[in-house]
Amino acid sequence: MITKQLIDQIEGEASIFFDMKDDVVNFATIAFPHFRGIESILRGKNALDALVITPRVCGICGHAHLMATVRALEDAYKNAGYPIELSRKVEIIREFTLVMEIVQNHFKWIYLTIIPEITKLTDSTRESTPLKGAYAASIASKAIAVFAGQWPHSSYMIPGGITTDPTNIDLLKVESYIDELIGFFEKESIGISLDKFLSFESCKDFNTMHSDISYLESSLVDMKMNEKGFAYDRFLVIGDHSFTKPSKLKQTRAFSVDAKYVNTVDAYSPAQNSYAKNAQYKNNFYETGPLSRAIATNFPIVKNMHRRFKDSAYSRVMARVFELAILLKHSKELLKSVDISQKSCNKSIDISKVTGIGFGIVEAPRGPLLHTINIKNGLIEKYKIVTPTQFNIGSSTKDNPTPAQNAMKGVKQKEALFIFRTFDVCSVCTTH
Amino acid sequence: MHLKQDKKPSLIWFQGVTCNGNTHSFLNLENLENFLNKFEILSHPSLPSTQDFNTITKCILTCDIFIFEGAYDPLMKRNDTLISKIVKHYAQSANYIIALGSCASFGGVFKASAPERNSGLLFNEQEKTGPLFTEKAKVINISGCPIHPEWLAYILNMIEKGREIEIDDLHRPIELYSTLAHHGCTRNEYFEWKIDSDGFGKKEGCLYYKQGCRAPMTHASCNKILWNEVSSKTRVGTPCFGCTEPDFPRQNLFSTKTNMSIPEDVPLGVPKRSYLTMAGIAKTFHINRLEGKLIDYKTTD
Repeated sequence: MITKQLIDQIEGEASIFFDMKDDVVNFATIAFPHFRGIESILRGKNALDALVITPRVCGICGHAHLMATVRALEDAYKNAGYPIELSRKVEIIREFTLVMEIVQNHFKWIYLTIIPEITKLTDSTRESTPLKGAYAASIASKAIAVFAGQWPHSSYMIPGGITTDPTNIDLLKVESYIDELIGFFEKESIGISLDKFLSFESCKDFNTMHSDISYLESSLVDMKMNEKGFAYDRFLVIGDHSFTKPSKLKQTRAFSVDAKYVNTVDAYSPAQNSYAKNAQYKNNFYETGPLSRAIATNFPIVKNMHRRFKDSAYSRVMARVFELAILLKHSKELLKSVDISQKSCNKSIDISKVTGIGFGIVEAPRGPLLHTINIKNGLIEKYKIVTPTQFNIGSSTKDNPTPAQNAMKGVKQKEALFIFRTFDVCSVCTTH
Repeated sequence: MHLKQDKKPSLIWFQGVTCNGNTHSFLNLENLENFLNKFEILSHPSLPSTQDFNTITKCILTCDIFIFEGAYDPLMKRNDTLISKIVKHYAQSANYIIALGSCASFGGVFKASAPERNSGLLFNEQEKTGPLFTEKAKVINISGCPIHPEWLAYILNMIEKGREIEIDDLHRPIELYSTLAHHGCTRNEYFEWKIDSDGFGKKEGCLYYKQGCRAPMTHASCNKILWNEVSSKTRVGTPCFGCTEPDFPRQNLFSTKTNMSIPEDVPLGVPKRSYLTMAGIAKTFHINRLEGKLIDYKTTD
């Protein structure tokens, strides 16, 4: 018998249709029923207008969309014979605000999604503190807004650079926000210093902690999530950034990656109309996001977790926690290397002279985000967006399930619903 | 339209065709916890709520305040129920209906998802022909893409305190939307002397003449109530795109439409002739301090 379960509070809604056998999930299909048609909304518009429209794909990762768009536009300029140079300052500040968006995302996911779900699933009496996530996220948003004017929905990246021309006053302000965030993370989330947390090499080290994160870790073990929720043990990182390494990984063996091998197919959702697509690499499913990025960079504790617990729900959740810690430290390093005397924006030629194709790829909070723009005389002929949740969740047939479908197999329905959320699902990005 | 003061006002936050931008913007509110304690949150897209979503879509509850985020699509379903039914149910029972963001107010970005049927709750762009026409006395539009968290907090606080909220012709609270995005912009002096910013990435110059800035024609308080408490688009050199107005999103957002190098749209309420006279005079002067980089100017010059 097939039963339907509505999932909300995932940046929109989805339905999971469970086919149960002997009390465990035999197979599940996933439907995303809402569609907004951003790609067709963009058609015919001035190509620069995409910088304002694409952030509106998503309220929680719109900044990643902005960066994918600006990279796609700059690539189109280059392919049309008008290469654009960016100052080092521009590269760093763009990277910094992208990193801060990932930080706010992970804080919200830990406190508003995963800890409350664990508390529910384990019938724990521990008091949930979801607003800690909102508070930390608001500080990260302030750090973005100093450069980008606002978050969400900034459009401060434009071909040739950024619209802002920061001063030392701005830099010092942002530094103080980072210090506040690190202090908050140390005091409220981990209860030890950031450096000590990042130096962990074994899961035994968690036993020394008494904090939100050690509660999260020990609950995952109690729930046996280190033995459940396996996807394919294949990982994909495509965006080129200072905090990870583009690669295709089979277990921990790394291979080179080329975005041209990304393909999408319609989702399989017999029980309900779904607007999702499945994203694949050379026709195979790969998991994307923090676990993939940590394995690509051989981050010690995550590699250790993977050695012991493979790509279980445990590894997936803890990799996201560690990515938050890694990025907090990295953001401080990034800021140190900003030279404000460098140019904020190089002038580019009028967009109406540009005809050609451009690719823009970034690592968004949940994995690779790919934008492709076709421009004719400055106008958008075609725009295509592939999002991380299309890689991770999608919905396919029983003989070729997506990573999330695979991860939900063989566990109780309650556990499957939790495992589903370990991928940090973004409904609005999936269907855009 | 006054609420009883003996219990917390109950609130349902419901989404139509949206990106969740208003939801995430609202989570940035300072002192969020204290604020939320004043209300009974029956349903919200990401915050803890007292009711599950299945109950909400059954349309058996009532609420004091109904917040709708996103464009209205009469054919859209949430949890297999047409939102036309859900919106009608809560709109009838609520004392206040808040159309949150430009999509819910006028159609916004996601009017274009299905232009023939999508609209805001009360307005379809400028026209008052939306589905909640019969409930129009209760509808407050908080336009913006996204809304600033303080704008919503202000309205909810006013409701909670039982104070009257004055609105403009487009049902926007006048205390928030009688000012222009231009008010408080750090580039105002360049506007006065008609000095454009000559490209992006500069602290100097006004973005109204060439870069498409709509701030002098846009009802908003972005440069008065700063974004994330720290800045605004124009302060970081990004033009205002007029996202609080019914015609958002316009086309060619990064360039100003001009006739004989004069912006086609002049500042709100200023007669074109007056504007041209003023601009003509201002342009005849050369102000050294405003022509170079601010940081290079010496007071002895």
